[in-house]
Amino acid sequence: MSVEKKEVRIAVTDGMLIPSGKDKNVITAWSISLIFAICSIIYLCVKNPDPYLDILKFLPDGIMVTFQVTISAILLTIPIGLATGMGRLSENRIINLVASTYVEIIRGIPLLVQLFFIYYAIGEFVQLPDLTAAIIAMSVCYGAYMGEVFRAGIDAVDSGQAEAARSLGFNKTETMFMVILPQAWRTILPPVGNEFIALLKDSSLVSILAVSELLRRGREYASVTFNYFECYLMVALIYLVITLLLSKAVSIMENKLNYYDD
Amino acid sequence: MLKKIVLALVMVAMTASFAFAQKSIVIAHDATWPPMEFVDANKNIVGYSVDYCDAIAKEVGITVEHKSVAWDGIFAGLVGRKYDMISSSVSITPERQKKFDFSDPYFEVTQAVILPADASGASLADLKGKTLGGQIGTTGVFMAKRAEGVNTKEYDEIGFAVEALYTGRIDGVICDDAIAADYVLRNKKYAGKFKLAFIVKSDKPEYYGFVVKKGNKELLDLLNKGIKAVKAKGIEAELRKKWIGQ
Repeated sequence: MSVEKKEVRIAVTDGMLIPSGKDKNVITAWSISLIFAICSIIYLCVKNPDPYLDILKFLPDGIMVTFQVTISAILLTIPIGLATGMGRLSENRIINLVASTYVEIIRGIPLLVQLFFIYYAIGEFVQLPDLTAAIIAMSVCYGAYMGEVFRAGIDAVDSGQAEAARSLGFNKTETMFMVILPQAWRTILPPVGNEFIALLKDSSLVSILAVSELLRRGREYASVTFNYFECYLMVALIYLVITLLLSKAVSIMENKLNYYDD
Repeated sequence: MLKKIVLALVMVAMTASFAFAQKSIVIAHDATWPPMEFVDANKNIVGYSVDYCDAIAKEVGITVEHKSVAWDGIFAGLVGRKYDMISSSVSITPERQKKFDFSDPYFEVTQAVILPADASGASLADLKGKTLGGQIGTTGVFMAKRAEGVNTKEYDEIGFAVEALYTGRIDGVICDDAIAADYVLRNKKYAGKFKLAFIVKSDKPEYYGFVVKKGNKELLDLLNKGIKAVKAKGIEAELRKKWIGQ
């Protein structure tokens, strides 16, 4: 492990700007955003309980559904991503082709179109409950993205590790699961956390399937009261608070993993 | 030089749009509501309400431009001055009247429930524990929400709700009677699958009106004058025959 390699980390993703754990300042983009969002919500609810407090009371079950979709999807996405990532690195041409084609196709179709496809097009043959259809669509889509994360993570483990393991008598499966993957986790987990945030944000697309998640609840409220500005402002602020808290969680996790790096 | 060209272009665009706005009234439709307003095979917005608007325009001597807009947000667009009026089978309700001005009524509706052909049910009370679908923010959905023990699902378009009924995700669909009849009787795909189960009894009659921004009296007067003329000249009866068949 003496080979000095500059770590390349490209942090531009569709997730969030993950706050750096090394930044000891109190005032950061993250804290400003969070304080702004929370103070706005409190101020609005105290100043104008009608309609802001009403809206806030209307939304919680939507938030729960948003989490339900996101967490179920992420749990399904990890095995799909792992299989796809390993498939993409496989020397077996057929497995490799299957995995690569899956990634190619899914990444080439917008998530919104995939949602319509699974819900309405496939719905003509197989009837899935709304929430299940939503979760499957999100998992299939994000599985492809996650596959790329896993592929990169596995690829980043020094090839000497595999060679050493093989020469010690480990077979291919043992090498992967006992030597490579445990090391790859450190690279993989932070982007997985980021994908989690991206998935949570994209779960708002599920509102198109009449699944009553956060955005849908907001739209339902607005459709009755015509309080568009107030309603969508509240929805936006709540999404912001949730994603900011999650991005902090990812940052803490990242620091724990990199504890011995410096 | 480039700046001057851009400036000139902006000036032209502004004067052009200004002149255009003065002459022509932009009307928003959620064109997913057959036979009142929908997109035909040639991608034109057609239907009873569309013809009705054209007839009014002809009577009062204005030009109109039809614009397709998603229902969810159609009122927000009016507030945001993206168009001058909405003609999208909007039922006149006290809640809506608080925020917008309505023309005189131009069509009477009732709320009808579509059920699978083999299902039973003759009133909302019979559908306790069942799920009714409809379009978000429509009077049908409001009515289903008020009914005790009935679950509601709000889709973006009525077509989605009908498709969800077709694939068995929901137990019934509630919408305006003319639209329900169109899906049940005229739609080839759903022929024989559904029935118009019942009309929801209501103590208050429900009417469509054209919606304008609160205080736009000028346009409102013009519309009401047009509606009167269209009714008096028998154009309305013709349109009913053409689109609704009665």
